[in-house]
Amino acid sequence: MTLEVALKVFRYKAGQPARYDTFRVRVPHTASVLDAIEAAWAQHDRSLTFRHACHHASCGSCAMRIDGREKLPCITPVRDVWRGRGDLRIEPLRNFPIVSDLVVDVSGFFQRMSTSGMVITRTAESYLPVAAGAADGRPRDARSVTLPEGVARVNRFENCIECGICISACPTMAASDKFMGPAALAGIYRARLEAPDEAESTRLLGFADGEHGVWRCHSGWECTEACPQGVDPAGAIMLLRRDLVKHRIRKLFGR
Amino acid sequence: MATQLQSSRLRRTAQWADVRRRGMGMWAYTLNRVTGIGLLVYLYLHLVVLSMLAGGPDMWDPFVNLARSPLFLALDVILIAGWLIHGLNGIRVTLTGLGFGTRSQKSLFVGLMLIAGIGTVVMGIMVFGS
Repeated sequence: MTLEVALKVFRYKAGQPARYDTFRVRVPHTASVLDAIEAAWAQHDRSLTFRHACHHASCGSCAMRIDGREKLPCITPVRDVWRGRGDLRIEPLRNFPIVSDLVVDVSGFFQRMSTSGMVITRTAESYLPVAAGAADGRPRDARSVTLPEGVARVNRFENCIECGICISACPTMAASDKFMGPAALAGIYRARLEAPDEAESTRLLGFADGEHGVWRCHSGWECTEACPQGVDPAGAIMLLRRDLVKHRIRKLFGR
Repeated sequence: MATQLQSSRLRRTAQWADVRRRGMGMWAYTLNRVTGIGLLVYLYLHLVVLSMLAGGPDMWDPFVNLARSPLFLALDVILIAGWLIHGLNGIRVTLTGLGFGTRSQKSLFVGLMLIAGIGTVVMGIMVFGS
């Protein structure tokens, strides 16, 4: 069983005006949107530029907008997003400079992540029920998992694959290039969970403070809504705000 | 690197009001801005109207008659809806902003907007019934 889908793809090459091209491709019923884009590239236009690598939502490099929503095309079946008629709109991520067609410049995003001064490790993986399966392959019961001392709940912020979808979905990011953004702030929250001491924890909290940090977020929750990995960046931002308020109140009373 | 294309700041900022294919949080976000701007405009108009008092009964009484017309009463109900939506959503934003109810922000929004809806209907009945 096959589907014949019309992809309306955003096109841009340096020095030329942006436009949309429509490609009709026939793909298997089970095809992902990335499969359809690859078919358009192979059958119609080899100059179509898009980025991809793993094909299974590990690398995050293929992130783009499908029918107006930020998604990973590698794990988005065509049949889930195409209504069977009309065009399926394929566009690059928002809030990034466009380099060519569906490829955006993510260097600023990675710089922002690294200037937070942290490395996101997966050392807590074994405590995490969602990813960590039992020997029989079945997922563990979350309640049976023992968390490290002092950690009440672990949210898998390290699940972030740095795809940039949260940046594209964030309405605040659209208005401010200086905003640290949901991914970096969620990373700071995650890094604080494993901070070796109070001083390091406070230092990390300082990264999130300021007008371009957590206070710039206007609670649109779009980052959490769009994240393909179930990371909850907006939740992390709110929890960082709570910790900052606590920290300031303590400072006020000299504690 | 090749020349990079980026939408204008104005166009990007317009995303603030674009709720197409967005989640409930974005609806709340936009609703808060729209009602906030509406309330600000109302406050300005309210001060302008109050300044008519300085003109004495000749200026004030015709306005009072106009304010009792069905159109003005309907605007009053819209104003009440704006206050309720903005105020109640503000409570949600404050709570989640302090780390409370972050996992139930959607249900919190639905619940508070239901209260706003009921409040608007009740107040509407009171406004038109008085």
